[in-house]
Amino acid sequence: MSTGQAAPKPVHQHMRRNPPIAGEAEAIQAAQGGDARAFETLYALHKRRVYSLCLRMLGNVAEAEDLTQEAFLQLYRKIATFRGDSAFSTWLHRLAVNVVLMHLRKKGLPQVSLEETLEPSQEDGPRKDIGARDLMLSGSIDRVTLERAVENLPPGYRLVFVLHDVEGYEHNEIADMLACSIGNSKSQLHKARMKLRDLLRTGERKEPAV
Amino acid sequence: MTTTRSDRKTMTCAEFQDRLPELFESHADLSAEEHLKTCENCAALVRDLEYIAQQAKLLLPIHDPSPAVWDKIENAIQTEGSGQERAEANRPPVRA
Ligand SMILES: [Zn+2]
Repeated sequence: MSTGQAAPKPVHQHMRRNPPIAGEAEAIQAAQGGDARAFETLYALHKRRVYSLCLRMLGNVAEAEDLTQEAFLQLYRKIATFRGDSAFSTWLHRLAVNVVLMHLRKKGLPQVSLEETLEPSQEDGPRKDIGARDLMLSGSIDRVTLERAVENLPPGYRLVFVLHDVEGYEHNEIADMLACSIGNSKSQLHKARMKLRDLLRTGERKEPAV
Repeated sequence: MTTTRSDRKTMTCAEFQDRLPELFESHADLSAEEHLKTCENCAALVRDLEYIAQQAKLLLPIHDPSPAVWDKIENAIQTEGSGQERAEANRPPVRA
């Protein structure tokens, strides 16, 4: 059998964020058959997502470009194995995440600082300076500001924050990817958000010195 | 779940903030938390953290790789591709 109604798939966060793209299915099929033009189309459709992911995880343009290249080369080699049982973009982004993590592991990685950042910096009591209303975020953080704050997160925090809050992965997926516990992933995420709040509030009070 | 009403009332900021990661993860309705009704500090904290998580979802793709990236990919593919063609050319022809 060839077509038939596809059963409705569960709507994962990835899929909500990766709605089907016109012409993608045809391009995938053609690229699987070795059509170079079709592969270029897939690159054009997904380069931005893949590169943004790499850049946010790595915080470095040169590395992000290298790994974008590596991710698409792996895609080229593996595309024949894509079966269509997940969204193509979900599959590709997972591939890209793995490329980045592999690279970070070789470098000896924020994985290390994953542990390090877990150490409670003070006692884990409440922050004394969380308080007055004027310390609340104004609710008008623009994307550039948030982007810059994310760049300034310690690498271990940044990975979990980007994977969970930006990319929409679940904690069990992240734990799997980073080879850490789910509890670890959750606690890293919380600390990342707390740290971001700090960075954003500091940014609101004064322009960054750099 | 098992906390009683009076426990919640006497919960300190430290205790509340310790529970926060778990509260966020359970997608519980935080506005129902007694502590938030009486503590502006923690209420502000919760609003900020929710706001940050919300804004992060809007961060999606705004960066583009330089055109050089595709050039390199194309070169690498051509190299690999010609390798494959050579391999195929070397294969003995299939007889019908
Ligand atoms: Zn409080």
